[in-house]
Amino acid sequence: MDFDWTEEDRTYRARIRNFLERELPPNWVEISRHGPGSREQTEFSLDFCPKLAEAGLLVPHWPVEWGGANRPAWEHFILGEEMWAAGEPRGAQYMNVNWIGPTLMRFGTPEQKRRYIPEMAAGKAIWCQGFSEPNAGSDLASLRTHAERDGDAYIINGNKIWTSYAAMAQHCFLLARTTGEAMGKAGIAIFLVPMSTPGIEVRAIPSLIGHGDIHEMFFTNVRVPVSARLGEEGEAWSIISYSLANERVGIPRYELAVRVLGGMVRELAARGAFEDHVVRARAGSALASCEAARMLVYRAVDKRARGEMIGAEASMARVAVVEADHAVTDFGLDFLPDTFSGRAFPAHLAHHERAIVTGIAAGAAEIQLGLIARHWLDLPREAT
Amino acid sequence: MRFNPNEDQATFLSVLEQMMESEEAGWRQAHEWARFDWSAPFDTMMEENGFFDCAVEETLGLVAAAAMTYRVASLPIAVECAASSILRPQYAPELPRPIAVIERHAEDPIRFLPMAKSVLFLGSDRISAAILNPDAVEPVESLFAYPMGLLKTRELDWQPIDADPDAVHDSWRIALAAEMTGALKGGLDAVVAHVRERHQFGRPLGSFQALQHRLASAATKIEAAYWLTLKSAQRIGPADAAAALGYVQEASTKVIYDLHQFMGAMGLTLEHPLHRWTYRARLLRSSLSGADANLAAVSAKRWSAL
Ligand SMILES: Cc1cc2nc3c(=O)[nH]c(=O)nc-3n(C[C@H](O)[C@H](O)[C@H](O)COP(=O)(O)OP(=O)(O)OC[C@H]3O[C@@H](n4cnc5c(N)ncnc54)[C@H](O)[C@@H]3O)c2cc1C
Repeated sequence: MDFDWTEEDRTYRARIRNFLERELPPNWVEISRHGPGSREQTEFSLDFCPKLAEAGLLVPHWPVEWGGANRPAWEHFILGEEMWAAGEPRGAQYMNVNWIGPTLMRFGTPEQKRRYIPEMAAGKAIWCQGFSEPNAGSDLASLRTHAERDGDAYIINGNKIWTSYAAMAQHCFLLARTTGEAMGKAGIAIFLVPMSTPGIEVRAIPSLIGHGDIHEMFFTNVRVPVSARLGEEGEAWSIISYSLANERVGIPRYELAVRVLGGMVRELAARGAFEDHVVRARAGSALASCEAARMLVYRAVDKRARGEMIGAEASMARVAVVEADHAVTDFGLDFLPDTFSGRAFPAHLAHHERAIVTGIAAGAAEIQLGLIARHWLDLPREAT
Repeated sequence: MRFNPNEDQATFLSVLEQMMESEEAGWRQAHEWARFDWSAPFDTMMEENGFFDCAVEETLGLVAAAAMTYRVASLPIAVECAASSILRPQYAPELPRPIAVIERHAEDPIRFLPMAKSVLFLGSDRISAAILNPDAVEPVESLFAYPMGLLKTRELDWQPIDADPDAVHDSWRIALAAEMTGALKGGLDAVVAHVRERHQFGRPLGSFQALQHRLASAATKIEAAYWLTLKSAQRIGPADAAAALGYVQEASTKVIYDLHQFMGAMGLTLEHPLHRWTYRARLLRSSLSGADANLAAVSAKRWSAL
C-alpha cells in the first residue's frame, strides 16, 4: 500500500498548474462566473481546449492512434482535479474527454470514429447528454423518447430534460427507445445526433446553478440516418453501463472544496477569528470530510487503474463527496456569512451555488445508498 | 498511489485472518457474551508469532500495523494490539506488554490495566513508561467492553522516553483510529448479518429502505475512516492522524445509534455480542479528548502558519 504520489505524478500536476497559470487570463474569474455551461465559458473552452491539446493535456490517456499518449489513469485523474479546481476551463468538453470519446472508440463504426473523435481530440467539440426525461429521472430505463425505423433512417420523437450544455452543443449523445416501453432497458438504443438537425428545439431552464447549465429538448420528427445509431438496437444499456462506470465516481469536487475551505480559513485568520476552538473544530471536521471523500474516490480510481470494474466503491465515493461539499459550504455560511452576498468572494459564491447539485446530478445520493446496500452489504432488494 | 497491499503485507494479513479464525484463538467458544472477554490465547498467539513487531519490518511498516489493529478490533474480544503494535516498536521496543496507555490523568480508569505489564504515559510535554506489578492495580467495573483498572499508586519507576510528544500523540491517534474503526466494522458486520436473516412483516428487515440507507451510510463512513487511517500510518500530511481519529469519532455517534436500533431488543442482551463492539467504540470516542479536540488539532496542524 502506498498513499503518496510518485515524483512523476507530482511533476505532472505541477506542469498542469503552470499551464493554467500561464493560460488562464486575468479576467478568468469574470469569464467563469456563470459556470461551465455559460456562453462565456463555452466560448472560452473552444479557444482553451485546442491549446491544451497542443500541450498534450487534453486527451493524454487516449490511445496514440486517436491523438492521445496512452498515459495512465492516475494522470488522467490528476488532470481532472486540477481542471475542476480551476473552475473547469474545458467547459462541457470534459465529457468528451472522459467518456464520450472512449465510448465511440470502443463501440463506434469506423465512419463514426473518423467523424467525431478527431474533433474532440482537437478540443473543438461540444456534446450534450440526452438521457433524462420529464418522467424518467432516477428510473432512467422508463424513458419514452421514441426512434421509429423508416427505411434507412429513424424518426425521433420525444422530450428530454435537465440536459447540460444543450444550447451550445453541436452533438447529442441521445438515448431513445426503438420498442414499446414494456421492453424497459432492453428496448433502448443510442443515437449520435447533430443538434442542427431540423425538428430539435432547445429551451434553457433558468436555475440556481449558473447560466446555461440545464435545458429542455424537444424532438419532433427528427430524422437521422441509421448510421447515426451507436451499437445495435437494445444495446444502449450495456454500452452506457460500461462507459459510465468510470464516470460514476463523479466530478472531483472535494479538490475544489478543500481549496475553498483553505481560503475561508485564511479569511477568518485575517479577521482574527481563527483562534476560536469551535471554528477550529468545525474547519477540521470539514477538512476531514473532504479528505475522507478523496480517499474513497482514490480507492475507486485505483481499481480503474488496475483495470478492474468499479462497483459500489463509486457509490460510496459519491456519497462521501456530497457530505464533504456541504460541510464546506456550511462552514462558510456559519462563520463567514457576509461573504456569501456581493462580489468580493467569488469562490465562496461559486461553491455555494454549485454544491446543491452534488447529491442529484449523475444519480441521486439515495440511489447510491441503495446500490451500496445491495452490492456492498448484500442486503435483499426492497419488496415492491 | 496503490491501495493493494504489497506481497509481504498481503501474506501477513492473510496469516492474521487465519489466526483470527482458528479454534485456538479461543473466542468462538463463548456461549454468553459477558461484558468483555480478555483475549489471552489469541494475544499469546500474536505475540509468539511476532505480529506486534510488524511496524519495524521494512516491507510491512506502520501501515500493516494499522491494518492489523483494525482487523483485530473487529473481533468480539478485547485485544491489546493498538499500543503494542503502533507505539511500542517505535518508541519503547523493550517495554513488556500488554501495555496500558494513560492519556490524561493517572487517576482515571484505564483500559487494559488489569492485565498490563507496563504503562505508557502520554503527557503533553513528556512521554514516560513504567513497569507494573499487579499490586499497583485495582480492577474496576465498567460498562465499556474492556478490562478496566485504576492505578493505586503513582509511585512507579517512571522512565523518560526520548521521543517528540506530539509525534507520539499522532501515533496514538493512528492506533486509536484503527481500533475504533475496526470495532465499528465488527458491529456493522454483525448487524448486517442480523437484518439479512431476521424477518418481520413477512420480509427480511434488511429489505426496508429506511435501514438500507442508514447501513449504507455507516458502511461508507467506516470505509472512509479505514482508508484515512491507513494513509495516516504512512505519515504524509501533518494533519492526517488527527483527521483520521476525529473523523471516526465524529461519525460514531450516528453509526452506534443505528447499529443498536436495527438489532432491536436483542442488542441489549448479553446473548448477542453487539455491545462488545459498540461499547468499546463508545469509550474510544472520548480518547485524546474526543472528536472536537482532535478535529481542532487538524486545523492547528494543517493551518499551522496562520
Ligand atoms: C445540474 C444537473 C445537470 C444534469 N445534467 C444532465 C444531463 O446532461 N443529461 C441528462 O440526461 N440528465 C442530466 N441531469 C439529470 C439527472 O441525471 C437527474 O436529475 C437525476 O438522475 C435524478 O432524476 P430526477 O431529477 O428526475 O429526480 P427523481 O427521479 O424525480 O428523484 C427525486 C428524488 O427522489 C429520491 N429517489 C428517487 N428514486 C429513489 C429510490 N429508488 N429510492 C430512494 N429515493 C429515491 C431521490 O432523493 C431523488 O433525488 C442533470 C441534473 C442536474 C441536477
